[in-house]
Amino acid sequence: MPVWLREHSWRQTLTAVYLSLPLRGARATPANIFCSEQYLKVSIPPFLFEAILYAPIDDTNSTAKIGNGNIFFTLYKKEPAMWDSLTLANADKQKLQYLRENAVLKAHEKAKEETEAKKITKQEHKKYALEATMKLEEEERKRIEDLKEKERQKVAKELELWKNQQKDGIKYKSIQKKGESHQEIEPLKERKSEKMNKTRIPNEGASKSRLKSTKGCHGSCSIFSQNLEEEQLPAPRAAATIKVNFTPRVFPTALRESRVAEEEEWLHKQAEARRIINSDLSELEDLKEEEKNPDWLKDKGNKMFAMGDYLGAVNAYNLAVRLNNKLPLLYLNRAACHLKLRNLHKAIEDSSKALELLTPPVPDNENARVKAHVRRGTAFCQLELYTEGLQDYEAALKIDPRNKNIEKDAEKIRHLIQGTMQSS
Amino acid sequence: MSAAVGAERPQVVSHVQQALSYTVFDCKWVPRSARLLCLGSAARGTGLIQLYELHGARLELLREIEKPKPIKCGTFGATSLQQRYLATGDFDGNLNIWNLEAPEIPVYSVKGHKEIINSIDGVGGLGIGEGAPEIVTGSRDGTVKVWDPRQNDTPVANMEPVQGESKRDCWTVAFGNAYNQEERVVCAGYDNGDIKLFDLKTMSLRWETNIKNGVCSVEFDRKDINMNKLVATSLEGKFHVFDMRTQHPTKGFASVSEKAQKSTIWQVRHLPQNRDVFMTSGGSGSLHLWKYEYPAQRSKKDSEGSEMGVAGSVSLLQNVTLSTQPISSLDWSPDKKGLCVCGAFDQTVRVLIVTKLNKV
Repeated sequence: MPVWLREHSWRQTLTAVYLSLPLRGARATPANIFCSEQYLKVSIPPFLFEAILYAPIDDTNSTAKIGNGNIFFTLYKKEPAMWDSLTLANADKQKLQYLRENAVLKAHEKAKEETEAKKITKQEHKKYALEATMKLEEEERKRIEDLKEKERQKVAKELELWKNQQKDGIKYKSIQKKGESHQEIEPLKERKSEKMNKTRIPNEGASKSRLKSTKGCHGSCSIFSQNLEEEQLPAPRAAATIKVNFTPRVFPTALRESRVAEEEEWLHKQAEARRIINSDLSELEDLKEEEKNPDWLKDKGNKMFAMGDYLGAVNAYNLAVRLNNKLPLLYLNRAACHLKLRNLHKAIEDSSKALELLTPPVPDNENARVKAHVRRGTAFCQLELYTEGLQDYEAALKIDPRNKNIEKDAEKIRHLIQGTMQSS
Repeated sequence: MSAAVGAERPQVVSHVQQALSYTVFDCKWVPRSARLLCLGSAARGTGLIQLYELHGARLELLREIEKPKPIKCGTFGATSLQQRYLATGDFDGNLNIWNLEAPEIPVYSVKGHKEIINSIDGVGGLGIGEGAPEIVTGSRDGTVKVWDPRQNDTPVANMEPVQGESKRDCWTVAFGNAYNQEERVVCAGYDNGDIKLFDLKTMSLRWETNIKNGVCSVEFDRKDINMNKLVATSLEGKFHVFDMRTQHPTKGFASVSEKAQKSTIWQVRHLPQNRDVFMTSGGSGSLHLWKYEYPAQRSKKDSEGSEMGVAGSVSLLQNVTLSTQPISSLDWSPDKKGLCVCGAFDQTVRVLIVTKLNKV
């Protein structure tokens, strides 16, 4: 139960009410005071003072002074009138309650409004600051632009000047030449014939340098020294060939440092593949020497494929694979055979194996990879697995975007897929 | 990286930009004039030569010449100043020399190579250097051939692969060391990273090396002096500067290399007025301006007592990104310091001015 503080004293003027509230030893802070338009409360546990005011006051301007064990309220009335008493008499409990709640609500609202207002002012301040900085930066930029523009104009003017000089210079020179040329022809012609006899030997550096000194005189002399010089030019070189050796490079593409590692890896793999020979097969003893060479077998297989003997080709490739299972081209070609034989699952297997072996992807094995994708795609489509087939065709297109056949086939498959989807 | 203070650094100013309706492969200034040439390939597969003149802030098209095959490269290096004939290499392996006043029939024509001529250079003309005017072409068929316009049909020098050797594409060629009538070298860069230096006086291979990346462009700092420096640019954003004054018997030439950007460096061009400044153009559409600084001593003796070159250092003066596509061709004007033209694969040709090169 709170202890009520009842020993307050008050006096009033027309516009204000002065209330003095002694605190019995309790210390008060602004947080303990709660005031709204018609309700005043001071709560310092366990003390409590509460007053429902006679008439509404302007609570924003009213003040409370805490000091000397006393709180001194200065409350400005909303309407200037003399109050009969400080508090409302005949206040029943319900009204009291209602007023209290109202007061609290109002105080909350006010607090909210205040924070809103604060936020808005803060935003406006920020905006202003931003605009100010933007203006400053804009000015800076303009200044730099102006400098640049000035440079540009200066330079353009110089250029024009130079151009005009050039034009004038040429005009002047041509006039001069014409004037002087007539005079100079006679004596120079004689000198010319003399020089011609001397300069039978082309590499006469000495005579040329003598003539060169005449170049020193500008304008008129120049044409003729030029003509004489032409007689002095060495004869065309004796034709010769220099044989050139290049730093060896396996790939036809240009050398790039960043790609060297990948290319090395691929070449290494190829080299490895060549060296592997599964020599622990007893049947090998029956074969002739050349039949143990996977490359020879591959060529044999290619020939049989070209002639249409697909089964024979498959046999050749099979044997080659047993000898060396790291050559991607064997699997690639065998996949083609299986396609022709309509062993579609085997074709898919072989194309996949080929693709596995064709890593890392370098421009060198592009062709092979395109073929592998196309063959696998075809096999999928013939098995009616159109989506997988399309995937492979798109992969092939990615490697070689310019191949029209692959594009056409991919289109066909897309139509097929759409057709089946619509009908199902 | 750069020692120059911010305000004193050379600036690259884009003066004129011209959109073209064809792919431009090479652009060249016409010597002694404010005119430039664009060489390229039209969409219908024919070659185009366009002659522009710089008027104030725009380029005016003076002439347009169409040829049956797309044109890859061109040079004025081997003609006299009066004639100013253009030598071009095209996609079919033909070398032609055109008189731009009468371009219907070439002054000289030869089917020099079996495949596209990737690069062309000329020496002995324009009043620079001494000796016979010669043109060198490098082609995808792996051969480098030197031509004399006075001799029809056969090259005066042919650098071809040994019989049976698989060929590598030659991507770039350059002349150098033409300081008197006899001396001349040709430097060739290939797609497998080989750089080969052929001496035309002794008709032999003088030096070769491999820079581990395909060589896109080589250039000597000057063609008409005792060979001083050679810059070779390559794929993967690297370029090498070789000091060519001292050749060690086994180690060759000393070099310093720099990785400028992630993309291919398509071209390097030295400033005609200052041989230690050069510009590289990149696959990312950017241009970098570099300055080479010589070391305190250009050569030193190694443990066996033979002379060895010492490479200097390269510092970046400025860089700018002009385009999103590679800038495949670059040319400085020999008449106005700082004026240059570049052509990019976004079908634009740009005239640029590099300022403050006097203070470099």
